[in-house]
This record gives sequence, C-alpha cells and structure tokens, in this order.
Amino acid sequence: MAASLSLPPRITHSLTPLRRTNRKPGRRDDVPLTPRSARRRESQSEMDSPPAGDDPSRTSSRRKEIQTGTEPVLEVLDEEEEENGALRVSRRKSALKVSSRIRKQLNLLDGRLSSDEDEEEEEFVPSRKELQSSDEEEDDDEGDEDEELAAKKSRRSSSSHTKQKTRTPRKTPRKAGPITPRRHRHATPSIPNRAQPARRPGNILEEARARLHVSAVPESLPCREQEFQDIYSFVESKVLDGTGGCMYVSGVPGTGKTATVQEVMRCLQHAAEQDEIPPFVFIQINGMKMTDPHQAYAQILQKLTGQKATADHAAALLEKRFSNPASRKETTVLLVDELDLLWTRKQNVMYNLFDWPTRRHARLVVLAIANTMDLPERILINRVASRLGLTRMSFQPYSFKQLQQIVTSRLNKLKAFEDDALQLVSRKVAALSGDARRCLDICRRATEICERSAAGLVGMSHVMQALDEMFSSPYVAAIRSASTQEQLFLRAVIAEFRRLGLEEATFQQVLVQHQALCRVEGLQPVGVSEGLAVCRRLGACRLLLLEPSRLGVLQRLWLNVSQDDVLFALKAD
Amino acid sequence: MSKRKAKDAHLPIGECISQVHQILRKRFCHQQLPVKPEGVEAQHKHLAELLKRTAVHGESNSVLIVGPRGAGKTMLLRSVLRELSQETEVQKNLLQVHLNGLLQTDDRIALKEITRQLQLENVVGDKVFGSFAENLTFLLDALKKGDRSSSRPVLFVLDEFDLFAQHKNQTLLYNLFDVSQSAQAPVAVVGLTCRLDVLELLEKRVKSRFSHRQMYLLSKLTFPQYLERIRDQLSLPDDFPDGKFAQEWNAAVTTLCEDKSAEEVLQRHFNSSTDFRSLHMLLMLCLSRVSVARPSITPTDLLDASRFCLADANANMLHGLSILELCLIIAMKHLNDVYEGEPFNLQMVHNEFKKFLQRKSNSMYNFEQPIIMKAFEHLQQLELIRPADGASAKTQREFQLMRLMLDHSQIMEALQKYPQCPTDVKQWATSAFA
Repeated sequence: MAASLSLPPRITHSLTPLRRTNRKPGRRDDVPLTPRSARRRESQSEMDSPPAGDDPSRTSSRRKEIQTGTEPVLEVLDEEEEENGALRVSRRKSALKVSSRIRKQLNLLDGRLSSDEDEEEEEFVPSRKELQSSDEEEDDDEGDEDEELAAKKSRRSSSSHTKQKTRTPRKTPRKAGPITPRRHRHATPSIPNRAQPARRPGNILEEARARLHVSAVPESLPCREQEFQDIYSFVESKVLDGTGGCMYVSGVPGTGKTATVQEVMRCLQHAAEQDEIPPFVFIQINGMKMTDPHQAYAQILQKLTGQKATADHAAALLEKRFSNPASRKETTVLLVDELDLLWTRKQNVMYNLFDWPTRRHARLVVLAIANTMDLPERILINRVASRLGLTRMSFQPYSFKQLQQIVTSRLNKLKAFEDDALQLVSRKVAALSGDARRCLDICRRATEICERSAAGLVGMSHVMQALDEMFSSPYVAAIRSASTQEQLFLRAVIAEFRRLGLEEATFQQVLVQHQALCRVEGLQPVGVSEGLAVCRRLGACRLLLLEPSRLGVLQRLWLNVSQDDVLFALKAD
Repeated sequence: MSKRKAKDAHLPIGECISQVHQILRKRFCHQQLPVKPEGVEAQHKHLAELLKRTAVHGESNSVLIVGPRGAGKTMLLRSVLRELSQETEVQKNLLQVHLNGLLQTDDRIALKEITRQLQLENVVGDKVFGSFAENLTFLLDALKKGDRSSSRPVLFVLDEFDLFAQHKNQTLLYNLFDVSQSAQAPVAVVGLTCRLDVLELLEKRVKSRFSHRQMYLLSKLTFPQYLERIRDQLSLPDDFPDGKFAQEWNAAVTTLCEDKSAEEVLQRHFNSSTDFRSLHMLLMLCLSRVSVARPSITPTDLLDASRFCLADANANMLHGLSILELCLIIAMKHLNDVYEGEPFNLQMVHNEFKKFLQRKSNSMYNFEQPIIMKAFEHLQQLELIRPADGASAKTQREFQLMRLMLDHSQIMEALQKYPQCPTDVKQWATSAFA
C-alpha cells in the first residue's frame, strides 16, 4: 500500500467531515472502481486523516498543486455537498498565505461568496486536490507530469512519512476508499477582455471586408442546399426513430462540410426546441484538436457527461454507456471532424466509434468528416469499413458560378465589387482548387488593395494584383534579386549538369565551373569557403537542394527550380 | 547647458573612441533597430496595416514573411511592432506570443510556451501545469470563448516557421490557423521563414486554412545603394557628445567609401552577398581596429578585414599541420588525381609517400607505421579527411576507405604560405612525377 502511514491508520471510508457539517456523507457516484479512482479516493481519505499540524507540508504541497490546477473552484461551489472530507488548516505561514491567495482569487471570481463560506475556503482545497488528482489521472501517459508532481512533492515534503504518500509509486494500488463523486470540472480559461470594444467597420470597404472574412459564416450556406437536405433528413430520421447510424462526409478542404453539418444541427436543435422532434444531444470532436487518437474517448466522455477520465477509463465508461439499455431517451449525435487523424495501427478508436451506433440501445448517430472519398476503402480495415456503412456524401469543389454566388450572398447587396472582377476571382479559384476559403481571402485582399489606392469599387486591377500576390511563385523573383556570385553559381550548376548529363553534381565539380565563369566575367575567382557560403545561402532558400553541409566540398546538389526558370530569370536583365 | 555648448564640448579622445565603439557595436552586434527600415517600405506598410486591423478591429489574419537569411525579416517585424506600440489602443490591447522553431522543437513545448506567455489560468509564475492534451484543450477553449469585439487580440509570431511545419500532424499550425478563420478570439499569425517553398510543407488542411498572404523580402540593392548603406551604418548620429569628433569621423567615413581600393573590396563583398549580416561582420572587424592610436577606419583596415572574412578556412588549418601530415595530404591529392576521386586508405597513401621518398626526397625520411597512422588519425580528427560512405567498423583501421575534403586549390594555396616548407615537398606537390 502506498500510503503506509506512520500515523494511526484511520481509514475513513465514509465522509467524516471534521469541520463542515452540511456535507452529506456517503454521497457517491456510481462510477466503477478502477485502480486510479481508487487511488484518488485513497488520497481523499488521506486528507481525512488527522488534524492540522500533522502534515502541514503535505497540505501545502497539495494546496500549491491545487492552486495551479486548471480550474478555479467556482462551479465547485455548487457541488459542495460532494466534498468528502474536511481539511485541516495548516499552521504554516506559507500555506496560510497560499490559502489566503486562493480565497482572494475566489472572491475575485465570484462575488457571491458569503462570509460563512469564507471559513470553508480551506475546505475547498480538497476539491482542488481532487481536481488535481483527476488532473493527474488523465495523463498517466505523461511521464513528465508525474515526475513534476513527484519532484514537487519531494521538494516540499520534508518529513519522511509524506514521501510515502507521493504519487510516484503509481504501480502500487491504493486501498479501496470511498467512491468519490466526479465533479464537473468547468474550466474557465479565457483570454482577457479588451478595454473598449473593437471598432466597427467604418466605410463600405471595411464592411465588405468584415463580411468576406472566412469566419463570418452565414446562417444558411448557399450552393449546399441539396447536401443540407440529405444530411438533415438522415439525422432527423435517426432521431425520430430513436436508432443509431453512421454517415461519412468527404470532400476537399474548403467545400463547406463542417459548416453544412453544423447548420443542419442548428436547424435540428431549433426543431427540437419547438418540440417537433425529440430532444437530442449534439457533440463534436476534431481529430486535429487532440494530441492522441485515444483522447477522443476522453473528449467524448467529457462532452457527454462532464466527467474527466483517462482515455482508457473513458473508453470503458463509454462502452458501458452505449451497451446498457439505460433509461436514456435522448439520441446522441456525434460529429467527428478530420476522421483520418484518429487512425491507429489497430484502428481501435475508429472501430469503437462506428461500432457503438450498431448497438441496439446506444442511439448514437455518428457523422464523420474527412477529405478523401475512398478513405474507408483505403485505410480502414474491413470490419471498420463495414460498420461505417455505405451512407456516404461527397462534397464537390465549388464551381465558379457557385463561388460567385457565395461571395455575392456574403456581400448581400453591398456594392463593393465590380462584376467582372468578381467573376475573374471565381474563375481563377475554381480552376485551381474550388476552395471557398481562397476565394474569400483573395476578395478580402483585393478590398485592402483597393482601399490603399483609394479607388471606389474593387476593380479588375486590384483583383489581379491580389491574385498575383497570392498565387505567385517567388523563385524567379528570388533568383533575380540574388547577388552576382549566387547567380553565377546557379549558372555553373546548370553548366555542370549539362556537362555531366545528370541532374545532380558535387560541389567540387560545380566550383570548377564557377571559377571558370568568374574568369569569364572578369571577377576575382572565388575561394572554396566563399563558394561554400554562396552554396549554403542558396540551399537555405531552397533554390538548390543540398546534402548536409558537413560533407563540405563533397556534398551533392540538385536544382529545386527547373532549368528553364533559372535561365529565364537570369536572362531577363 | 545650452545645445551649442554641449556640441562644442570636447571629450578626451579616449572617451570619444569608446563612445564610438559603443554606438557602432550596438548597431552591428546587438541588432539594434534602425530608425527607419530601408528598402522594405511597402512590406512595412502592409504588415503594419494588417496588425493594426487585428488590434483595432479584431479581424483575424495570417501572413508569412519569406526572405533569405539576413534579409531583415525579424527586423521588419520588430520595427512594425515598435511603431504599433506607440499607439495606445494597440499597446493596451494586443497580446503577443513569440515562438521560435529552433527553441520549441515540439508541439508540446510550444503549447507550454504559449500558455506561459499568455499567462492563462494554469500558469503559476513561470510554471505551466497540465499535460499536453490538457494544455491544448485549455488553450483552444480559451480562444473559443473569445469574441471578435470583446476579447483582446493575440499576435502569434512563429520564427523559423518551416520547422513548425515538421511537427507531428502540424497540430499547432492547424489549430492556430483554424482559430484565425473562426469566429473566436481574434488572432494574427505571423510566420517568418527563409524557405521559398514553405507552402509546400503545409498539409492540405492547414494550407486551406492559411490565408496565403505572403510577403517577400527580396532585396534589389544596387552597388551605389550598398555604399550608401555602409556610409549610414558607419556614421555617427547627430547627438554624439563631441560634435567636432563626430564631424571628423563622418568625413573620414565618406572618404573611405569613395576610396578606390576600398570600393573594390566592397564590390567583392557586394557580389558575394548583399544582406545585413555579412556586412555587419565586415564592419565589425574594421571597427575592432579602431583605437586611440588609430582613430578612424582606413582602407587598409577594410582590406585586412575583407581578407579575414574571405579567407579560406581549411587552407588556414593546413598551416598548422606537421610536415609529415602535409606530405600525406599531398600524397592523397596525387591519388585523387590519378584515380579521379576514388576513396583511398592509409596503406595506399603510405605507398604513395614511400614512392616520393624513394624518388627525390632529400629532407624527408621514412617513418614507422604507427607514426604514419597517428598522423592519419590527426587528419581525420581535423575533418580534413572523412570516411567514405559505408565505412564500417569491421575493416581494420589501416584499410578503411577515406575521402579527402580539401580541394586542389586549397592545398596549393596553403603550400605557398606554409612556413619553412622544404622545396622538394613543394615540387612534389606541383607534380607527382619528375
């Protein structure tokens, strides 16, 4: 047992608050025991043990850690009955200072702290400790966190018996203590607010720019009505029937997949509010916004129930939740964005995500979004692909008419663009990628250029300049603005390639050519070190591709630009 | 003290020289921001407008500044930030996060750094708590809760942007660009990189979210402008305490720039590269010769500094070798000539050396094998030779294949200046036979 206390073993399995009397003892959640939760409860009961003065260092260490916990205890105030143990007040000055700081912060955050709750501030520390402990449980993969905590503990705890309570011996199971109810950890992370609100757009061009920003997604997406209808009917039918299902949405970036799905869900939620369809829960996760595919479980669990758990624990809990025919009546709609990032070698995460909807009582609808149309066939193993099913929807890239319509509907009768300018942008972008984001960004840039040149409407010249800037390839310009020796070196590279008949050469061979060219131009022949410096500069810009420079004169080089482009750039002056 | 009196004040010459050193060193070594960046006015204006719109209107943006090394990207950004910080509205509101791809080599470290710099709630002092996953969720929640009109805008500066594109999944870049394209807290993401092909490094999702706004810092400097720039860099400012000394100094700088030999030297440097950094190194070397005894920069100073800058590193190293090692190098050179660059090993070199000894050596005599081996190892330590590819530890040391890292010209150049080189060795170097 990790906590072999030198103190008399007062195993408090029940809530025996030493100070708080309004705490209901014995309130438990029905969370199944796992070693980690057991550990956490164990630590809770450690907190319940003997009164203040005994382990001030431990308390203060806990407090300090808690203070650094991610959440202030605001919402925990509501759940005070879930506290399962009082904390003794530490007599140490530093701990008192820390606790007064916590108090101050809480006072700042929530003015409704009454005076009688002030004395209970110290007892909120266990909540923080709990937060920190479940904090800890989340990242058992993070060795550094463990070391960090252990280091903190070992630093701060002076007494020997506290060392026994360090969490580092995670392998040793703690005694099964009372089940601690999981609290809702509502983090309040926030970016501070500005002094005055942001300036509103002043003139027409600024207004156009604000409307053309990619983030200003309209209520209803133009040119996606059919897709909207399909997804809407799919989800609505599932919600009405109370069954589950999977749908796979694919399309190149910038075609409005996530936006359409979110619009569908907005409409459905509105309909649910109007009681036209049964209520449902909508959660979304994004494969790119998590650090590891298994975090998906933890995120889904948190968004569904507000519980925080490690990935494995969350997987178990979700499995239980979706397998058991609980009295749950609500359908859950889960949107999984960037599905391909949830790939693992055994594809467990994806398997589970598509398997749960097939359970009878799960009532889970999964909408998966990715970029490749044939992702199920290409990277999913058979059983996962079959569970994903054949309900697929493919979003095509926008055509130029659609892009034009999108921009026009965004501007919404705001006369800022000339028609042919708009058409030029749409055609150009549609020819390249059909990405709505590019189109909007180019239009925005065009308005900036127009504003700077103080013309009225955004015309062809502005749009062409914006297109030039955003589609340009800088290689030719970079070669033209390179120094004389760099240009000679490029010429030497081409000459050497011609001589060898290959597309690669060593620096030594090119140097010979370079020195010959210098003599032809009447410049002083360049030395080896200088030549290496020139070569290195060209390699840094990626005009040339080089081998590692530790090879010195023996490094091979290749051209990263086509020979014609280089000659064109060098000729034009 | 009136201004006129202050200008007429005469400091002792030592004081003047140390002041000169201080001012100029700050310019060359400490990357002092110039009053007005030259040659990049359009980009300066563009960037300033962009950041101002983010700070004032809450409009999210992303931009990449691309330019070769030493082109002045960081300087441009710092000068724009300096200009913006003079407006109270910007200074009070804009939060800044500075990241560098060389320092934050991983997304985990980068997230901790962002959290620390923004002083989010899970930071105490300088310590960030929470795992990678938590930090990410925390940051994303914080930004998501923000709002265009009421949150403070955040400026993310990503130096060495191309290194961030090599992190796993490009998570950080995806999230930053995603925030810049969503209705969340306003952010401005500025990336600085020297690679021209940086867009090819971005994944398609990340690329789609990036606004494709790029600024190129490609200098189009002519030689007269370059001379003008040197003159500016070397001149003393108007508020120098000793006015007369400053005038003399500036006059000397002007004559220096007009001097013929100095111009040749500067032309050579201009041909090699036009960026600030190499220029500063050259001028620093000139400055370090300025002292009380020689209170101005002369063309000879410039010439010496240039020679120092452009000297060949390996040729200088050859001067420190012993005669035996030099002979081995010459033997390797002959082997390279005969076998056209094929790798050699110690035995081959030794044989070549013995051939020289037999034929025409007066001053050298044969050494024992261990001594030759030791000389060979010394050359390997100096990285004048290196093992050829695929050299394994299985072959014996004497038979491991090596390649010579020196060029023909470097060896000949070194031999000319080698102190007390025996003549027969020199002759041997010029031709293997005869």
